[in-house]
Amino acid sequence: MGSEWVLADPDRLLVYEADALTSRPFPPQAVVLPTSTEEVAQVMGILHGNRIPVVPRGAGTGLSGGAVASRGGVVVGTSRMTRILEMDPENRRALLQCGVLNATLSSAATPHGLYYAPDPSSQTACTIGGNVGENSGGPHCLKYGVTCRYITGLRVVLPHGEVVWLGGQGREAPTFDLLGLFVGSEGCFGIATEVEVALVPLPEGVRTLLAIFDSLEDAGRAVTAIISRGLLPAALEIVDRNTIKAVEASIFAAGYPTDAGAALVVEFDGMEAGLALEAAEATRCCREAGAREVRQAQSSAERLALWKGRKKAFGAMGRLAPDLLVQDATVPRTRLPEVLARIGEIAQRYELQVANVFHAGDGNLHPNLVYDRRDPGETRRVEKASMEIMAACVAVGGTITGEHGVGSDKRKYMPLVFSPAELEALDGIRRVFDPQGTCNPGKVLPERPAEERPGMSTP
Amino acid sequence: MNRTIREALGEILPAEALLPDSVVSLPPGWTAPVAVVAPTSLPQTAAVMERASREGWRVLPAGLCTWLGGGGAVEADVVVSTRNLRRLTAYEPADLTFTADAGIPWATLREATRLNAQWLPLDPPGFREGSLGAVVATGASGPLRQAFGGPRDHVLGVTMVSGDGRVLKWGGRVVKNVAGFDVTRLTVGSWGALGVVTSVSARLFPLPERDLTILVRAPSAEDLVGTALSMALSPLPFSAVELLEPVGAVSPHLEEGELKAALALRVAGSEAQVREAEVRVFDESFSRNGVGAGSALRLRDSESIAFHDALSRWEERVPLVLRLSALPSRLTSVLQEARELEARMEASSGAGGWRPEAQPKEVGTAHGPGPTVGEGPVHRIAVHVGLGVLRLGIHLPPQTEDATERLAGDLRALRERLESAGGTLTVSQGPPALVRDVGVCGEVGPEAELMRGLRREFDPAGILLAGRFVV
Repeated sequence: MGSEWVLADPDRLLVYEADALTSRPFPPQAVVLPTSTEEVAQVMGILHGNRIPVVPRGAGTGLSGGAVASRGGVVVGTSRMTRILEMDPENRRALLQCGVLNATLSSAATPHGLYYAPDPSSQTACTIGGNVGENSGGPHCLKYGVTCRYITGLRVVLPHGEVVWLGGQGREAPTFDLLGLFVGSEGCFGIATEVEVALVPLPEGVRTLLAIFDSLEDAGRAVTAIISRGLLPAALEIVDRNTIKAVEASIFAAGYPTDAGAALVVEFDGMEAGLALEAAEATRCCREAGAREVRQAQSSAERLALWKGRKKAFGAMGRLAPDLLVQDATVPRTRLPEVLARIGEIAQRYELQVANVFHAGDGNLHPNLVYDRRDPGETRRVEKASMEIMAACVAVGGTITGEHGVGSDKRKYMPLVFSPAELEALDGIRRVFDPQGTCNPGKVLPERPAEERPGMSTP
Repeated sequence: MNRTIREALGEILPAEALLPDSVVSLPPGWTAPVAVVAPTSLPQTAAVMERASREGWRVLPAGLCTWLGGGGAVEADVVVSTRNLRRLTAYEPADLTFTADAGIPWATLREATRLNAQWLPLDPPGFREGSLGAVVATGASGPLRQAFGGPRDHVLGVTMVSGDGRVLKWGGRVVKNVAGFDVTRLTVGSWGALGVVTSVSARLFPLPERDLTILVRAPSAEDLVGTALSMALSPLPFSAVELLEPVGAVSPHLEEGELKAALALRVAGSEAQVREAEVRVFDESFSRNGVGAGSALRLRDSESIAFHDALSRWEERVPLVLRLSALPSRLTSVLQEARELEARMEASSGAGGWRPEAQPKEVGTAHGPGPTVGEGPVHRIAVHVGLGVLRLGIHLPPQTEDATERLAGDLRALRERLESAGGTLTVSQGPPALVRDVGVCGEVGPEAELMRGLRREFDPAGILLAGRFVV
């Protein structure tokens, strides 16, 4: 590959010691930056042959500590694999290298009247390959669904260096959906080097509303009313009081009233006809639920302004304390009010500040805990509170992560949702792809190295 | 051995779970299973599978047993049906999700959700007679996949009993869930090769206020391909774009004289959206594409739904159904391939080998009267335009060994041509000898090794789908 693309200088490795979850850094032994499937295959083959752990990494924007070398080894970075190989508007598809940025893909499709639907908050920085690894979501999956729905084919380098093509052509064959299994496998099954995606037509029109409520409960009732009326917004997003305060005190101030209990962003898109009616109905739902104010964006600049308080929420929270734990969990939508109340209780009990941002339409919560990691007592309280929050979500039929992944951070919560038999089966699946256990080790599954479990079948 | 199997099952299961052989209508050429059982609970299902795995009984998981031949021939000692697991166990309309036993009849589910103005937008062939579990296990989809996605996009979680009797729950009833590997998606479309799916959670959608199908008719499918493609690629929110020839295969009264082919454009949404789409289809698109709007029909609401229900029975009683897939832009050449195949079969038929009077008995879902078969044209075509899938139905498959071999050769050659352009050819249903010869689908690449490994993980004794699944 050329020695300049193999990094081993400790200073240069610092960049790769963590992803967006910065609390537990692990510098890798080396970083390699290949440019093609063939190079990735050769690198994987060599590392596999020497039993050296491999950590696939896109842009490192992940929030679960998935792209870090927590067991040592070599990071395979995809930052040089940025070519769009085919743009095929006639078939509404594109083929790209895994290092293409999410937002770059959409920009490239726009001249053809198309775009790539999944839009995680980090879309200007995150790569498509990373999105595949995490099965990323975003604020618009209520209507459009998550990454998996838009991935139609993957070229994958398996942990031992073999290259396979998964999916393509609408999966007409009655075989296993390996494509669906690979998406969201967090780098444990190999590296997807080329990605075929489905593109969708740009919506003709968009209507964006911002409703301000005195309480979070009222905002929750508005969401239920909107869904119950048979409306399907493209997005339904809530930010709570603490988040509003943080945003308004920051450089990202979006003009949300600081005494509000919650702000709800509702967005409809699609054919122009009918959008006005949908927006009017949603406005009525909000008012009936007690909204003190409903604003509708009249221009795209106004639309961006309404979204600003939501999209910049995480950035703004940096003001509240040195460290921020961005949590992620999902509950059935109707259980949101009770879970939010429970999260408030838990935070209070542990004397922590929690700021909630969530995809209300999907029941996907992001309770964010602000703390100072130099304070060991507070750090411990954050960990305990996190565990209780996860348990509370699981107790009402929810799960421990909706879009950020398990990574290294959430392995400890896995037994909350999976029985020992299920964890065993997940481990078995992993061994089918990676019998040696060197592809992103120490991620997803709770501590239980494969080598300590002799006598299991391998392919 | 047979008596032992029946006795052992009798110990595990209550009497009502042991079904008489008459409940299953076996496809031609099948060896009857020793027993057909329908456990009445999850633990019973687990007990049966655990015992079967230990004893090496070969098992075929099944739903309501309406389509046992789907997927090709299979060797089974025991058919394990979910027909006694049929409750809607959880349904919270405001969550737009539900959980139901796998054996719940589709009709029951559809009615329950309709009462809350919601639906599960799936319409695979024959789904109306089958169970929820069958749709999930086959992963099958119909015209609606273009707009809504297929089962893999709607199923949120499954409970399954693995091939060796482990009860495993994957996913849940939340829309976004990335905890652990996505075994739910692996299970969807696995045809029961990993185990018996006993319960399914899926997401629902608001039932559209209005449902409109615009039917544009012309003498042949070729006359409509251009319009079909431009419609499928327009930003209009069609929920399905289907090209049919003859349209009489769906509903005889829609075929008039020379107008044998039809393009069915379905729009489902709010009153305002549907009205707008209707205007634009006629004003902008038809005039621009030079299609005579005079030949168009409008099927509204219940008529539109009835039309698509009838379309879902298009494969019923058709002895041979092929699915040709390609990128949508290659549709014209795929249609040409289908025509050439028809022509070769017809030429071959003149030389003997096709005998109309010797039609095989019905294959597939065969409940109640379906569209008339055997009269009119010999072949039928239905294309999911936006998906690039062409279905070719053949009423008179070859009857002799010679003719079968010739057709098999033609199909293999066609498959090769399609695959070289990134497409596929699969046989949805057909005479056993032909399916054996051609294979349900093309060869799986090196990833077959991964598939075999996954089967071993879930079914270490290798008792599921003996002789059927592709790997």
